[in-house]
Amino acid sequence: MIKKAFPIFFLLLTIMVTYYAMILTDFKLNTLKKGLHDSYFFIEQMFPPSWEDFKDLWNPALETVALALLGTFLGTILSLIIAFFGASNLTNKWVKQIVRSLISVERSIPELFILLILIAAYGLGALSAVLALMIGCIGMLGKLFADAIEETPVSVIESLKAAGASKVQIIYFGILPDLFPKLISYSLFRFEINIRLSVLLGAIGAGGIGYELDYAFSMLQFHRALSCLIVVLVLVIAIEQISLYIRKKLSISQL
Amino acid sequence: MIKAVGLTKQLKNGKFLLNNISFEVVKGEFVGILGASGAGKTLTLKSLIGLLELTSGEVWVEETSNQHINIYQTKTSILKKLRSKIALIFQGYHLVQRATTLENVLMGRLGSVSTWRTLFFGFNENEKKEALIALERVNMQSFATTRVNALSGGEKQRVAIARALFQQPRLLLADEPISNLDPKNAKIIMALLKELSNFFPVIGVFHQPELCAKYCTRIIAIKEGKLYYDGEPNLDEKTLEDIYGEELSSILT
Repeated sequence: MIKKAFPIFFLLLTIMVTYYAMILTDFKLNTLKKGLHDSYFFIEQMFPPSWEDFKDLWNPALETVALALLGTFLGTILSLIIAFFGASNLTNKWVKQIVRSLISVERSIPELFILLILIAAYGLGALSAVLALMIGCIGMLGKLFADAIEETPVSVIESLKAAGASKVQIIYFGILPDLFPKLISYSLFRFEINIRLSVLLGAIGAGGIGYELDYAFSMLQFHRALSCLIVVLVLVIAIEQISLYIRKKLSISQL
Repeated sequence: MIKAVGLTKQLKNGKFLLNNISFEVVKGEFVGILGASGAGKTLTLKSLIGLLELTSGEVWVEETSNQHINIYQTKTSILKKLRSKIALIFQGYHLVQRATTLENVLMGRLGSVSTWRTLFFGFNENEKKEALIALERVNMQSFATTRVNALSGGEKQRVAIARALFQQPRLLLADEPISNLDPKNAKIIMALLKELSNFFPVIGVFHQPELCAKYCTRIIAIKEGKLYYDGEPNLDEKTLEDIYGEELSSILT
């Protein structure tokens, strides 16, 4: 009897919580309806895209890709170095605990917030954005790499240690070869995320296609804004497909 | 030559894992360590290379022809040098799976080459040639450029032995080197180990008394952490029963 009442109880609870959240956020169905109408009007205004603007958007688009590429590359190297200190089979448990918790802390900080801090330090521009993307990698890649390194059997490390190898040699000869496919695959996945992030960071002032988009909107050049949106869409989809293709190839060669 | 004197490992609760084990092994000997599960075989082997913290005991290893060093009472730098002259073989899972056979063999000498040279220049032609010779000795030269993850269990074990050979050891320790091999490959590996014992002492932990009787020159049996038997490889039924107890039926297949 009590067991049967559980689903109903949870349903009622969910409805109550949702209702409370609607009050808190001042969410009204009427506003939603009006907003829908407005946004339809807004989108209508944007069509058609301005075709002659596409040639100006080529360079900003490349800039966005370059930001993401550089941020991911530097971030991968940084994460890898950190991951070696966060893998239990390479360090003692205290260092591991500290490094792992630092990685978790980084993961909980949004990239936007990191960028805002960096802007205060380095000013508005591409450098801040690259650094923000780089630091943003640590939370995700650092954890994934450290977990992958921990999959290396203890016997591999012990046998090289027994042969007299130094720690750097153990990492270079014993761990990196087996880690390589995962290293590439995880970095590519992060690159996909960083492309989207770099559009967003661009809008804040780092430059690139995100900046063009924001600028077009604020200048009320809606046709140009739509062109920017199309470029972003094509960019994201293209890079996701390329990355997916390479990652699939890698996972096959891993067998 | 290697000499173990009174190897003892006692837990905090007073239980002995190793209890006063002493033996000496010289060139030309292929020693098989036998014993039931948990008797202390692998611990004995690990203590010979200083990977186990002993409660008491000494392990003397030959450094030069008439100078011997106790590996439990020496500086870490000397210990590292000594270790590079002791080869260790596990069950074949200690190889780097995505590296080639040749690369895995070359890793045997990481201890005697400087870190920076190996990182930036790799190994030189001479070393590669020697590694190929080591592969030839275990009949694996045609697999030199194959990745280890494409090899069978027996082939991996042969690569592991080639790595040990390339290390130019003064002593070879093998921890259950044939446990996951089929009978044919097990015999190949045992014959190889016996052949190698002509050049340096070979000590292995085994679970196969029949194969040991055939290939080893001497058996050391450990029971409940104590040295139970040390001598001829042909053990009679009664001794085997004493060593293994109830496990015996599962071991003699």
